[in-house]
Amino acid sequence: MAETASAPARAPEGATEPVLRVEGLVRRYGDLTAVGDVSFTIAPGETYGLLGPNGAGKTTTISMVAGLLPADAGTVTLAGEPMGPRHPAARRHLGLVPQELAIYPDLTARENLRYFGRLQRLRGDQLRRRVDEVLELIGLADRANDATKEFSGGMKRRLNIGIGLLHQPLLLVLDEPTVGVDPQSRHAILESVAALSGEGMSVLYTTHYMEEAERLCDRVGIIDGGTLQAEGTRDELVRLTGGVDHVRVSGEGDLTTTAAALRELPAVQQVDADRQGLSLTVRDAPTAIAAIVTTATGAGMTLRDVEVSRPDLESVFLHLTGRALRD
Amino acid sequence: MTWTDLRQRVRDRSVLVFAIVVPLALMTVFNFVFADLEQPTPGPVTVAAAAPEGDPLAAVLVDTLRGLEESAAVPVTVETAEAEAVPEAVESGEVDLGLVVPEGFGAAVRAGEPVSVEAIEGEDAGIGGQVVMAVVHASLERFAAGTVAATAGAQAGLSPGELAAVAEEAATGGPQHTLVAGEAADEQLGPSASMVAGQAGLFLLFTVSFGVLGLVAERKQGTMARLRSMPMNPALIVLAKAMVSLVLGIVATTVLLTAGSLLFGVDFGSPVAVAAVIVAAVVATTSLMLVVARVARSEEQAGIASSILALVLGISGGAFFPVSGPGLLGQLMDLNPVAAFTRGLGITAGGGGVADLGAPLLVLAGFAVVMVLVARLVPDREETV
Repeated sequence: MAETASAPARAPEGATEPVLRVEGLVRRYGDLTAVGDVSFTIAPGETYGLLGPNGAGKTTTISMVAGLLPADAGTVTLAGEPMGPRHPAARRHLGLVPQELAIYPDLTARENLRYFGRLQRLRGDQLRRRVDEVLELIGLADRANDATKEFSGGMKRRLNIGIGLLHQPLLLVLDEPTVGVDPQSRHAILESVAALSGEGMSVLYTTHYMEEAERLCDRVGIIDGGTLQAEGTRDELVRLTGGVDHVRVSGEGDLTTTAAALRELPAVQQVDADRQGLSLTVRDAPTAIAAIVTTATGAGMTLRDVEVSRPDLESVFLHLTGRALRD
Repeated sequence: MTWTDLRQRVRDRSVLVFAIVVPLALMTVFNFVFADLEQPTPGPVTVAAAAPEGDPLAAVLVDTLRGLEESAAVPVTVETAEAEAVPEAVESGEVDLGLVVPEGFGAAVRAGEPVSVEAIEGEDAGIGGQVVMAVVHASLERFAAGTVAATAGAQAGLSPGELAAVAEEAATGGPQHTLVAGEAADEQLGPSASMVAGQAGLFLLFTVSFGVLGLVAERKQGTMARLRSMPMNPALIVLAKAMVSLVLGIVATTVLLTAGSLLFGVDFGSPVAVAAVIVAAVVATTSLMLVVARVARSEEQAGIASSILALVLGISGGAFFPVSGPGLLGQLMDLNPVAAFTRGLGITAGGGGVADLGAPLLVLAGFAVVMVLVARLVPDREETV
């Protein structure tokens, strides 16, 4: 079961029902359990991130959420309707942005949007209006009638996302949308997703980039080995590590004496010495840093550099799994 | 979905090349290469016939051959000769065939006694000579039938006069032997027609692959996941691709048969019957591609598998030359959709209508049903990745 960092993931009582409710989802391939007992909810307007390394079970999970794969156990409910391969009706509430560029290279951007719009049952003026709006939103209005095989990678990515937005779904599912994207396009994609969330659309976002999850997501589920290890807001997750910061003090002098002096400070929990300096585990480093510097110089140490690192989701992942996100 | 797919295929142009241009080019080349293999036509045959005077049955035999003189298919000239001169006439090449009816032929036939008619075939008698020989054999069998009828009459207690009349009627009555040039409704196509039909059948397999194998391409480029996330039954995706195959197959095969007919002077007969054969063949070949789409892991695999199937089924179905096999192998080859397609066109070309197409349509429909069942039994790649 996942560690819950703070309040339950479900929407509080009296609040709007979750847009997505995933309960006890399991998917096996022979002896391999790709996803085991995964549960989470997404509230209206919330951006929920599934953070985990490659092979953690993110894509399998969203494939079941999107109704592409049947689950061996568990249920998915979207806007109160059961979701699955045999329940196509609920998919009208879903916009899927697959990791691959799911567009037709021989069709223009407008033709791609019109095609998928018709499959989403948009017709006539509504379809025309939405296609024009999405082309504006993704910045491709001036290239609307060009074949997408002539587009840059970033333009294709934007169109890939635009198709998912076309029918204004309640839930947008993005599967690692920034993989293989240049920094400029990546920034544009992240801006777009943040804007969508601001407009009230619920988003399920999978990534193995910690900084994306921290920047975009209201809540994050950390997944590894097919199970949800923990979930919560960034701060809630960070507290799982004990809430301590790390301070690195580099310089010359009597490091043993300096280390002993620093251990006397109330905020300092641990001090380790090596040839280049000292590594400290500290509670609330921004407050304690002045005392640390004063104590170190007072012990005769000549400081070259002081570096403070606060815990992030990478630290949380390391804390929970014993290995780094990119291992 | 089908319309958008068709639009992409047309823009891609490869379907036009593979479905229309290449088969038409191949038909033209093969037609030139195999021009000498056109169906052999019998040449004129001169027959020297010797028959005993006053023998009405011998006269009937010779008159039967004279009846062939009116035939446009085998121009036969019958010359009356003395029995002793016949071998020499054949030997010298003066005539192509000699026929000597012995003295007492009629009496022997009426009595049911064995009697031999001497036929001497010259070196240049050719197919025309074989046709004349076949006619002689058939006439002699009719005479034997007359004898049997008379014997049966005697056992039934007919008088000698009545018996003679029955025997005469059985031996000489009924329709005269006629041989006319015409289409035989026996499922056989001429070389040009066979080439057009065979190539159309072979390339039909390539053409339909452009539709159904689009499923593999959709998987590869990621659009399949997006399509399956749409609010519709996933079976509609397969159905739409199959519709693309059906449209492409029907259009391309119709164009090929029409163009082939005009270019090579072939007539495949009733358009309605031909349309029935085309639709059945397109459905059968499309169902085969459904299996390939299920099994193949990549576009490359699908392309190779469909090409191998097209060539194997095309060649064994007679796309390049007539193929037949003994026993079980022959029966299996009859189940080949290309062979059934060609056979169906043979029936229509011979004047057959939809009602005459039972066997090939049954084979094609059965093939389609089996392939669809096989495709359903193969696990879906979308769920095993």
